[in-house]
Parts: sequence; C-alpha cells; structure tokens
Amino acid sequence: MAFALEKKAVAGWLERLLKLGEVIAPTRSPTGDVLFSNIRSGSDVAWDLPNPLHPPKEFVLPQTDPLVQIKGNGQHHEVEAIHDSRRRFLVNARSCDVKGIAFLSRMHEMEPADASYLRRSNNLTIISVACPTPCPSGFCICTDSGPFLNDSYDAQLTDLGESYLVEVGSAKGEAAVAEGQGLFRRASDDEVSQRKRLEETAKRHFGDETCHFGAAMRRISTGRVPDALWEKMSDWCLECGGCNVICPTCYCFSVKDLARDGAWVRCRLRDSCQYAAFTLEASGHNPRPEKKDRMKRRFFHKVSAQYYTRDGAVGCVGCGRCVQVCLGATHMPAVVAAIRKGSWHE
Amino acid sequence: MLAVPTACPFCSCGCGFHLLAREGQLSGVAPSQTHPVSGGQLCARGWSAHEAALWGDRLRQPLLQRDGKQESVSWDEALDYVAVRLKQLLAAGKPVGVLGSARATNEENYLAGKFARVGLRTNNLEFSYYSVCAPLLAGVEEVCGTSAASLRLTDIASSQVILLIEGDLAETHPRAAGSVLRAVENGAHLITIGCRETQLARVSSLHLQTTPGSEDVVINGLLDAIADLQRSRLSVSVGNNACLQDPETGKETAALCQAAEWITRAERAAFLIPASCGQGDQPRKIAAAVATLAAATGHWNNPGSGVLPLLARSNARGACDMAVVHDRLPGYERLEDSRSRQRLENLWGKKLPSAQGWDAETLLQSVSGLVVVADDPPSVVPIGQEAMTALGRLEFLVVLDAFATPTARIAHALLPISSFAETEGTFTNMEGRVQKLRPATNPPGEARHGWQVLAELCVRFDAAASYDSAADVLREIGQAAPQYAGIERHLAADGWSGVLLQNPGNGKSGAHPASTTRAESQTSAERPFLLARDPAFDWGSDPLVSFSPTLSRDYRAQRKAFPSGFVEIGKNDADALALRTGRQVKLTSMDGEAVVPVLVTKDLQPGLLLVPYAFRDRVSNVLRNDSVAAVRIERV
Repeated sequence: MAFALEKKAVAGWLERLLKLGEVIAPTRSPTGDVLFSNIRSGSDVAWDLPNPLHPPKEFVLPQTDPLVQIKGNGQHHEVEAIHDSRRRFLVNARSCDVKGIAFLSRMHEMEPADASYLRRSNNLTIISVACPTPCPSGFCICTDSGPFLNDSYDAQLTDLGESYLVEVGSAKGEAAVAEGQGLFRRASDDEVSQRKRLEETAKRHFGDETCHFGAAMRRISTGRVPDALWEKMSDWCLECGGCNVICPTCYCFSVKDLARDGAWVRCRLRDSCQYAAFTLEASGHNPRPEKKDRMKRRFFHKVSAQYYTRDGAVGCVGCGRCVQVCLGATHMPAVVAAIRKGSWHE
Repeated sequence: MLAVPTACPFCSCGCGFHLLAREGQLSGVAPSQTHPVSGGQLCARGWSAHEAALWGDRLRQPLLQRDGKQESVSWDEALDYVAVRLKQLLAAGKPVGVLGSARATNEENYLAGKFARVGLRTNNLEFSYYSVCAPLLAGVEEVCGTSAASLRLTDIASSQVILLIEGDLAETHPRAAGSVLRAVENGAHLITIGCRETQLARVSSLHLQTTPGSEDVVINGLLDAIADLQRSRLSVSVGNNACLQDPETGKETAALCQAAEWITRAERAAFLIPASCGQGDQPRKIAAAVATLAAATGHWNNPGSGVLPLLARSNARGACDMAVVHDRLPGYERLEDSRSRQRLENLWGKKLPSAQGWDAETLLQSVSGLVVVADDPPSVVPIGQEAMTALGRLEFLVVLDAFATPTARIAHALLPISSFAETEGTFTNMEGRVQKLRPATNPPGEARHGWQVLAELCVRFDAAASYDSAADVLREIGQAAPQYAGIERHLAADGWSGVLLQNPGNGKSGAHPASTTRAESQTSAERPFLLARDPAFDWGSDPLVSFSPTLSRDYRAQRKAFPSGFVEIGKNDADALALRTGRQVKLTSMDGEAVVPVLVTKDLQPGLLLVPYAFRDRVSNVLRNDSVAAVRIERV
C-alpha cells in the first residue's frame, strides 16, 4: 500500500513521532560532518545531506553496550538486565543501512536470540529514503541493497518533487504512518509509476565503483585465493579495524565488566577481527597470528558461498564506507577486485 | 547521544574525531571526514580512544599518604599540604623539580613551567619523553635552525619521493603510514632505511638495510651520490657501473645512485625521521644527516616538501613549545636568550632563575621534592626501573594525573585531574597544528581540570595565576610564546582545523656532517651480534592503552607470556643457533650480561638483536647507558 505525503507536511508528522520517542536523522554537526543524531523539532531534518560515515547501527548495537548490572549483596550477587526499550524512529536513513540493520537483526534473531539487541531493534522504526542517484563510493546495486528497496524497510520514502511517495513495509511502518493521520493520502497510479521510473534511472547511474562479488565468491569459497595474494594485500592493511567499526553488517564483540560505584556493568564492546589479539587464546596460542590470516577470515565471512547460504546475502550492503575509512587500501571493492583478477596493484 | 569533536590523545599525528557519550558516560568514537589530518580515517588507537577514560583506574579524590597509605582528603587540605611540604624543602635548601608531560595539554604544561620557574624558582623542569626525542629535535635544529616540522602530514600523500628512516611507522604513526601508502599507490618512490623489513619496507621502491645507529652512513652515502649527480648532471639508473662502488665502505652503489636521482628530480619530497637509537651522539647525527639531505636537495622548506620529525606522544611538540625543558623558555627558545628572558620576566612579573636545571634523568635522581604532571616517568625514560627507584627515594612526591599509574600509586600527595576526554585545553601535533580538546563528560568524582590545580598551586607560591578558563591560560601562552601570539583568538575562529603555527626556521643549508663510525665495526669475532633497544614508544605502558580493554589485549598477553621480557632475533640466526621462541639466551657485552628469552621474527636482518622498549630493563646490564651494544649470544 503506497501513500503520498506533501513535503510541507513532513515536519508536522515528525513532530507527532517526537512525542512518541526519539527521532534520529542525519544532521550537520558544527565540524561540518554529517552525523546521525537526535533531532529536537520536525523541521530539523536536512533531507539532502549525504549518508553519514558513522552508520546507524550505533542505535541497535552501540560501540559500548551495557547488558547487565552485577551488584554485590553480602554473600550474594544480584544480576539485573539493563533494558534500553526506548522507542526510536530513524528518519532519512538510506537503503544500504536499512539492509544493514535487517542483516544484523537476522543474525541476532537466530537461536539463541539476543534479547538486548532485539529490544532495541524491535523498538526502532526505520523511515528510509530511496536514493535517486548513487553516492560517490557506493555500490549497493552489487549487493541487492539499493538504491531502492522492495523489502526490509518499515517505511520507504521516494522524493517526487513536491511530495514523497510513502511505501509501508511493516506493522511498525504502518503505525508510524497512522500517527500522521490526516497528513497522508493514497498515492496515485501515476506517482507509483513515477517511483518505478526513478528506480530504473538510479540503477543506470552506477559507474565504475562496482564490486563483482560472484567471481570473488567462487574463488574464496573454494580456497582458490593464493596465500601469496593474501600476504601481499595484508601489506596494504594498517589493522585499524575501521572497516569493522563502520560496516553496517559487522557485529563481532568482546565482553568486559565496568566497575561503577561498587557494582559492575557487563558491557558488550564492538571488536575487530582484524586486531591481532582478537582470536588470542588464554593459552597464548593464536590461530590467526598473521595479518593475512585475519584478512582471509574477514573476507571469507563477508563473501563466501558458505555464509551466503546461511545469511541469504553477502556480508556487505555496498554503502562504500570502508572505501572512505580504510587507512590502508584494503577495502571491500579493492579486495574483491584483487581476488577476481588474482593480483594486487598490477 | 552526544557527539563532541576533539583531538586524538595518542600519537602526535593529531587526528580529530567525535567522542560519543550517552547519559553522561563515554560510549564510543565517530570519525570526522572534515578533519584535515584524519579525513574520516582513524587507526586502532583512535577507534578505541574513549576506552581508557571510561574503563581506566581513574583517580577521583585528592589523596595524601599517611602511615604508608593513601587516604582521601579535601582539595584545600591536599593543596595546602603540598605547599607546606614543598616550601619546607625549599627552605632547607633541598632541590625540587617539576616534570610536565607529552600527554598533558599546553595549558597544563605552561602552568607547570610557570609553577617551577616562578613558584619554585628553579629550572629543574623537563618532560620524560624529552629524554627520548631531544636528540632527534637537536639534529634537525642543528641543520635547519629549528626543530619544527617543515612538512605537513597532508603533503605526504602527494609526495613524489618519501625517504623514511623506518622504525615501524605502521605501528607508531598509522595515520602517517596511511598517507605513505596512498603516495605509493599514486606512484611515489618510497625509500626506507632501517634494520628490519617492515610492512612499509616491503611496499617500498627501495629498502636500504642498515644496522641500528648507523643509518647516517647510508644517508651520507646518499649525499655523496647526490653531490656527484649534481656535479655531473648526468642521469643515472641502476646498472650504471660507474656508480657501483664498494658496498663495504658505504660508498655509492647503484641503489644509492637510483635513490639520489629520485630525490634530486622530485618536486615534492618528504623526509620522515623518528627518534632512533645508537651509541652516544648517534641519534642526533642521524637526524642531522637526514635534515642535511633535505636541505642539500632544496627540499627542506619547499611547498609540499620538507622534514617531519616523528614524535610519539600527542603533545610532545606542545610540551617543547611550552618549554617544560630545563634549558628552554616558552616558544622553545634558549634559556640564555636575554630577549626571551626579558619577555617572560615582564609577563610574569618575577625574575627568572638563571641556574641551569637538570634533564629528566638527572632530575629524577637528584631532587628531594618532585611534582609530576600527568606522566609515569619509569615507563617513558630510558633508565626505566632506575627511575622508579629514584621516585621511591623522594622525600616528597606530588602527582597530578587522571589515571592510577605506578607513579601515582606511590605519591605522597595525589591530585586527581581530568583526562583528555573531560578537559578543556589544546594539543600541538608534530606538524605544529594547535587543536582544541573539548570535554565529552564531566571528570569523575572530585577530579578537577589540570590547569585549575596548577593555577591553585601557583597562587600558593605567589605566582600570579588568575584564570577563569583554559582559554584564559591559552591567551597568556600567546604572550609567552611568540609562535602562539593571538592563538586563542585564531582557534576560536578557525575551530575544527586547528591553527598551524608558522615555521620560524631558516633552513640554512647544513654542512655535510662529519663522517661517522659504523656501528658494525664494533662487533667482533668475540661479540658478533649487535643488540639494540627498539626506540619505538612503548604504548603498552601508557595509561591510554593499558587501561583500554581492546588496545591492551596484545600487550597484556605478550607481557604475561614473557614475564622476563624478550629480545627479537631473525629467523636465519635463530636457525643457526638452534633457537626457538621462548628459549633463553645469555647476552654478554663489554659491560655485562643478561639472560633473556628470544622471540624469533621473520623481518630482522642477520647479526641483529632488538629489545622492545618495554623490556629494556631486562638487558640494562648489557646496554648500560647506550642503546646499542655488540654482544655475544649463547644458549643457556
């Protein structure tokens, strides 16, 4: 079911959502950066900003995620779960990030389900905006995660000039649209076909920044990437872990207790499979001692057929963030290209 | 969620990022694409920068030692007690001193200097890391007239030639290493000079093997080749036999000729020099040789070209500029410079002490009373545990710190201050970019800002210090240090990019440095190996790393696995000696011996043993006061 919403009515709708919970959208910070942050009024959303470099997974899987509080009580300890059940609306998110959070949710819904994550994601309504033009380093067309979506969103907006076409994809999306009662109208057939045309145009605009996963997947899945190539590529990685931090689909973590006022807060900390001690055993043995081993592991998880079969998607949504944050040169498109060609920088 | 833009507290590249906070508690880091240094990229330390302030053993209350135990007291009681005890020592004619820090802000260091010079009337003032970086700065200053960088970090990526004295840039300065990789991708010629085949050596166009402490031999060879090239104006390339000479003498080889040609022809060339090791005066000579090379080829201060001394800690340059250095005044001017003295005396309204102060190591071992600002000297100064022993012998030790470091734990008076994540102030990175720190949360417990505590101490010693904010202190710094004139105003206007200090140097083209002895000549049949102390900064002992769960993992595991340290040995040597990792060896030099396990590595050249800075105490008998020594190695 598709609706239409006049642009001048959007602020009013967001005002109503603000009464229900936090509304998060890309905003321009004083440094000139674009960051996802809480907005205070419905007119605070700048719709034409580029996608923030720091992904919105921060709102379902924060870098420091308090899970339980442990209090000493005489001879015993009391353990109490920490609940973040705030209702949040993520507005003006891009298709890639919608797919990223859908990927994270599939992972965290698997048994044993992750209650802490699901509490946040179940309370998060994503109102995304389809991309009429690809972003400079994005390649979502190669990962089935944009520029327009046919699933995974709660509500997807398409810019039609004076108004937005609003597609509802879930009960949460329906509830959000219901809050805007009186502001929405049924979309006309013409508006729906206009959206289709925009999608076709957007797809045609993808240029060189594409990523050919198919060939890479065949080679990675069958162990046909020579060790020498991993070794060579690893000389171009500086082990910053930035690719993991900003990847919308990365979720690896470690656990650590934070002492606070005589109690402990057990936290999940975002971690990186590229760090040397990520797989270090208590014995002192490290199954992935070399950087090339860790790189191989990362790309096996992201691109192999084994994981594709399990997850139904490659572990990449084509947002292009790793292209921007990689301190070295081993971001997703570069490594996929090297695997496909069988050579690096040649 | 709050996102507060601030400067990175780790290395001296000075990246910028946002600290994230939820409900008054730090929770993460978000990158900044608009920051001129980091441009959206960060290293592992940067991505986990919030951790130490959040997870660290933080100091929350002023503590005074009573009956051997540190007990919490009020701020007034603590400050009064500190004043009384220091005044007692002064009255008894006992020497006192102050140690600033390369991880303290400019404001903290400036006031630490003012407190020492006006309050305690002494030039016994230094920062621990200066004992590591002083030879590097002296070597550059000798040639260029200034120790300040003449190359911007942002110039590296567009360099055509990069000459890197390679410790392990990828580990010590990942941001700079990233720019080097970018330049190589763009077709730049990277020349690395060092004793191990590191990551950057592997991607280089030319790696010139050398032994620690004799890098200048290669550089002087390069200078000869350049002089020949400039005389003959001939193009040379590898394979030109006229250029091939005896490698034993360090004279021109085809490789040197090729490097000389790249450097001479380049319009934009970068010269990156870290603190190095070597016997006696070698580290200074190595730095001077590189600076001479840059000056002789016209690259010292050409747009896009220049020399970049690679300082390890975030505010090492700032600590120099604020002159927490025994023989310098703010602006890094010489203590004996009468104009500078006059300027300071007018500003501070007091006569400055004229007697020479002590450097950090002498100071630690000679004073009776010591004020340490935000540092743990034993983990930083080359003498290591000797410094800990010296601290333990002090009659009165005052420590201002955010973290419970080993030094803080033995303080007679412990004054808790805010960490980088809670403070206001500025850092100056190694290229001279002054940047603001902005608080993301409140300091824990009763901790106060370092500049406030130091100002209170100044007041108790009759040194005028009435400031309402860190910006007030910065305004005064603008009057004290000429390069910082108007800095507070400029920073307020320029904001996120910080302010780049003007380079005061004259780049006088240096004379060809005197020929140097090669360290290999000191090895002999009896002592055929060279043991060197790795000069790379030991981040594992820095509270910003050791208190971060993610960042300390590697170091903790390594220190647990090797409680008595280790020395690194190349694979071929290890095979020849039938050594495996963990196997104990006895090292014997002219000075003494030590038994220590080895760690076998792939990238170290034969005949060389390298001891990580963290484990330098394990071989202090062998190295004595040097950082390189010829040794015999035996299985035990």
